[in-house]
Amino acid sequence: MSTATKPYDSTLQAALLLLPTAAVLVAFLYYPSLETFRLSLYETLFLGQRQTWTGLGNFVTLLTSGVYQYSFFITVAFAAVVVFGTLGVSLLIGYMIFSVDVRSSVYLVAAIWPYALPPAVAAILLNFILHPNLGIFTHYLELLTPLTLDWFNDGPQAFAILAVVAIWKQLGYNIIFIVAALNNIPEILTENARIDGVGRFRMLYKVYVPMIAPTMTFLVVMNTIYAFFSTFPLVDLMTSGGPSDATNFLIFKLYRDAFQFNSLGLASAQSVILFVVVSILMYIQLRFASGYGRYGG
Amino acid sequence: MATETDTTTFDAGKLANRLPDDALLHGGIVFAILLMASPLLLAIIMSTQSTTEVYQVTNLGLGSKGLSNYSDALVNYDFSTYMLNSFVMSVIVVVGKVTLSLFAALALVYYRFPYERAVFMFILLTLLLPVPVRIVPLFQLMADLGWTNSLLALTGPYIASATAVFLFRQQFMGIPASLVEVARLDGVGPLTFLFRVLIPMSRGMVAGVCVITFIYTWNQFLWPLVVVTDKSSQVVQVGIRYLQGSAQAGLTQWGLIMAGAVLALLPPLVVLVVLHRPLLRTLTIQQK
Repeated sequence: MSTATKPYDSTLQAALLLLPTAAVLVAFLYYPSLETFRLSLYETLFLGQRQTWTGLGNFVTLLTSGVYQYSFFITVAFAAVVVFGTLGVSLLIGYMIFSVDVRSSVYLVAAIWPYALPPAVAAILLNFILHPNLGIFTHYLELLTPLTLDWFNDGPQAFAILAVVAIWKQLGYNIIFIVAALNNIPEILTENARIDGVGRFRMLYKVYVPMIAPTMTFLVVMNTIYAFFSTFPLVDLMTSGGPSDATNFLIFKLYRDAFQFNSLGLASAQSVILFVVVSILMYIQLRFASGYGRYGG
Repeated sequence: MATETDTTTFDAGKLANRLPDDALLHGGIVFAILLMASPLLLAIIMSTQSTTEVYQVTNLGLGSKGLSNYSDALVNYDFSTYMLNSFVMSVIVVVGKVTLSLFAALALVYYRFPYERAVFMFILLTLLLPVPVRIVPLFQLMADLGWTNSLLALTGPYIASATAVFLFRQQFMGIPASLVEVARLDGVGPLTFLFRVLIPMSRGMVAGVCVITFIYTWNQFLWPLVVVTDKSSQVVQVGIRYLQGSAQAGLTQWGLIMAGAVLALLPPLVVLVVLHRPLLRTLTIQQK
């Protein structure tokens, strides 16, 4: 930007304008984050009353703990299911909305509303609809198929149910970006393929998906962060990490270690590991997707 | 239905192929939309039913309770308090975040000052620090400040944001240089410039950031759960958790729980439907 477009040069005024934002970021973001790093090097004893230096002890404990390894493994598996499940369904719906020649945004709004859906509400609604004894969906599923829903006691089923809720809630966000990206492709680029008589769904993965690759990368990153962090209400309200740790994802384990078992040092070490995960994801985002962003953050 | 006339598809055969195809598409979209909405529609029906009616699983008619589950949730299960707390929290965060971010973007775009780039990076890097990364010390900080159970704890950590600063910065950078030049020649002060020129020219973006922030704040669950233990200060998302717990005695009052869930969803849903235009524009600008 040329200097002509910067009409003001009082450093003092600039500092005053930036001060409120900087103060909040330092007090509530940078300072607690640095504290997390410090705390992760201490062991907490007597329900948080005393701290003793343990160096990397907490990390050694975590990385050698079967429970933590299992939690890490199922969280990554969960993220993979949620990321690709969400993308697959959103692509299909987004592509249909893009293809239909209707100018009105009624379809779009009716498809993106889960963006506004609170995760806690999503959890409670499906708690009921999919309830093993009372759920209407369960009733018809068991009537029409040989399957039985017993996700209060069956680990893999609980995992699958949480994935369904997580995907449902995330569809709105993904459809917004997919429809926008498809609309941004210049028509001239897709015209040739259309004249060649390529079928609609062949077009989707042969022509359109490669063209919106940056958006897809962006959504992979955002959905991964979502699966790691924003699914806490689902676990808390639907499975409490169970049955037998089948849905004890990293964020839920962190919450319980910190606020139910008062193992602050151990919980902080888990936060540090999550920080590493976010950093890797953001790096991928900056490197491979266009732009940056974490909406609403 | 407004079918767009495509200049390349005038031959009759192609048009004939296209019509049933389009009907199929409409059918597919309607099916997908109904499937996505079905849990909500079922919840709305169940929220009018009595507990006995809910326990007749296949009973899908409107129930005998009418809206009394809603008034029960609002009056006897404190949902009026939770809703009010959520609303106050969300409005404070929206107003605070937008104001702070507008000021910061004004400085970043229209001021010459040392270490501009470093200051911007300092703000952007906070994207690496979501709540779970700092939750333990943040909770301790609130306890030390005596802020637990207060609006300060609910709103403080959300009131500044890299995303909002980034968006307003992008927006301001797109404002024509000639306009800025006029302001400079006229000797317009920075705050006048912000309120008279920048904000009126950024109305869509401001509205979009307000919508994103409102929905994001209203839907918060983990942080309120941790920092608020006093029920009278709690927000509605955690209120659902209380409701699920207390309606569990004897036969679970699912009608009541569904009414609570619908109440907790209503405000962000209304905001989304009414303000979807600025929301969509802002979200998709951000990604480019």
